[in-house]
Amino acid sequence: MSAAVTEEARPAGPVPAVRDPAERKARASQSFWTAVVGVPAIFSVLRLGVEAGGELQTTLLLVANVGTVNLLAGFLTTAARLLSTGLVATFALGAVLRVSVDRMPPTVRRPLFARWVDVTPAWFAVASFLLALVTWQLLYLPLLVPAFVAAFQLTPARLHEQRVPRVLLLVGLLGGYAWLLAPTLADAVDQREWLALLLLSAPPLLALAITGPLPGAVVRPLASVTEAAVLATLVWAALPVISTPVLPLTVTTVESAPGVTEDIRGHVVTTDDVSMVLLQERGGVRYVPTGQVRAQVLCPSEEELPRHRLRIHDFHVEDSLLEGLGRRVRPVHRIDAACRAVR
Amino acid sequence: MNDVASRHRLRSVATTLAVALTLTLAAAAGCDNRRDPPLPSVLDKLRESHVDGQAKIRIGVATTEPLMGELRNGVHVGFDVEIARYIASYLGFAGDQRIEWVSLATEDRIPALQGGVVDLVVSSFSMTEDREKLVSFAGPYFVTTQEVMVPARLKDRIRTIEDLRRPEYRICTSGGSTTEAELAKHDVKAYVVKEVGDCVKGIRAGRYDAVSSDETILAGFLSQYPKDFEIVDMPFGTSELLGIGVPIGDPALRDLVAFALQKSYLQGRNGISSPWLTAYNRTLGPWLKADKSQPQPLDVPKLVDFDDKAPTR
Repeated sequence: MSAAVTEEARPAGPVPAVRDPAERKARASQSFWTAVVGVPAIFSVLRLGVEAGGELQTTLLLVANVGTVNLLAGFLTTAARLLSTGLVATFALGAVLRVSVDRMPPTVRRPLFARWVDVTPAWFAVASFLLALVTWQLLYLPLLVPAFVAAFQLTPARLHEQRVPRVLLLVGLLGGYAWLLAPTLADAVDQREWLALLLLSAPPLLALAITGPLPGAVVRPLASVTEAAVLATLVWAALPVISTPVLPLTVTTVESAPGVTEDIRGHVVTTDDVSMVLLQERGGVRYVPTGQVRAQVLCPSEEELPRHRLRIHDFHVEDSLLEGLGRRVRPVHRIDAACRAVR
Repeated sequence: MNDVASRHRLRSVATTLAVALTLTLAAAAGCDNRRDPPLPSVLDKLRESHVDGQAKIRIGVATTEPLMGELRNGVHVGFDVEIARYIASYLGFAGDQRIEWVSLATEDRIPALQGGVVDLVVSSFSMTEDREKLVSFAGPYFVTTQEVMVPARLKDRIRTIEDLRRPEYRICTSGGSTTEAELAKHDVKAYVVKEVGDCVKGIRAGRYDAVSSDETILAGFLSQYPKDFEIVDMPFGTSELLGIGVPIGDPALRDLVAFALQKSYLQGRNGISSPWLTAYNRTLGPWLKADKSQPQPLDVPKLVDFDDKAPTR
């Protein structure tokens, strides 16, 4: 049974006649789009409550002052990585499961991810991968290669129909990849960063073997385990995203009496002619008379501290392509002294 | 047929393995993303150090060494002072309102650090083995050599170390300095006073005939009286490394100061204007014979900071 035959046979093939196939498809499509639109919306509101420190009045203050567009934009900035990870995982696993179930007797119920893949247009899957390409940290970016190959079932045979040119092309591609990463891999060995070494070197090799159907015995456990795992991972990874602040962190110097200054570390909620409203980092809201504000600086939060000391051609491995390009536009990063002094 | 089936099975096993390994790798990546940074950060070190939470940082400086550390119209100026300001601001104490300047005589530098009177000493402090038993040093931030300054009237008569040994010349130096020991090593008898400034005053009053000290300190006095004095290049041999003195009980603070110096050193090496270069050009630069650049600091710890991701080129 060739892959091409399977592809064509699937839509017309006999699906268990529990319900009308068109209706099922519509329902799957509905649940998918509800998740894609609804999850960010719910998250955005949930994180306002977290940002407010769980205080009802503070939450209401934030709701009153943080606009919907700001909220969504803020959410996308911090959660694009998580969102694209969820989508990429779904599409890659869904495609692997789909191609596997297609070989099995038609009475077998299609796994959820496979059904989602059935109803998602290809452009949406491509867009998710593009989003992942620009937002994932460079260290994890190689994982996108097997994911992409799996999602679109790109077997090495697609490169060339004859064996020799195919092998030569593969060797060329892998050689180019190795040449690009060689200095970073050497640094990883020097720094004994074994996981980083594995994350950078293994994925392209795995991509060679990841296409094709899985044995029938593996499909069902894999489907249920990965569905649960992806869900659990999303929830687990969503916690830090929910607690990532919506508003920028600043240190504001306030002169409450002549010669008496105080530094307040917190997020500026709003400013008007009368007062500046600060949500303090440790909790609590401060209304500072605008006339008393002497200085204000933007500060990084501790979560932004890098974990690795590896670079790929001067791009830090923990930057995404977008962030790395941004750093080329504004190369100097200045940490204001006030950020260190006030905690 | 059998061959095809076995190839098929092999292929399935390979796919299963690849899928399983990719999932494991992805899970490992997820865990890696959530763990704490393995290297200590600048903030961690700051929390360990004793200056954390202080309203002001106390820095010991000289007030009578022109170009290096001087009190002019109530404001501290000089190369050491500029370096001290940079270090203080790196530690979170930006601006003179967050710095308590403590004026220290040469011989008071070690006791002040030991007694907890100051948090840092930036005052032409030479890093020597003997001193490293008593205080910690971060640096060097400057490499200097010992020189002799003579009044213009004697500039043709005192040219060598041999000349210094002649009994008719009265050589002056400051107490507790490395110069004092260096002169003794060369059998030069010297009058030891409290400050190099006293020697200069003494020469102008006719009590002494030459003063020996670091070229930086001497350049400072030369800048005050450019017509009255001349610096004579003498082969004392040893170069001195000026470092920032830190209490021996606070290794975290020493690490932070060394890291701050390294940051400036790297900036300068990349051709960007560094805090060190700015300080140098504003103070010592115009008065030294040869142009200098920042020496590489020693024993710099590996710390992570927020600006680590910035491009290096």
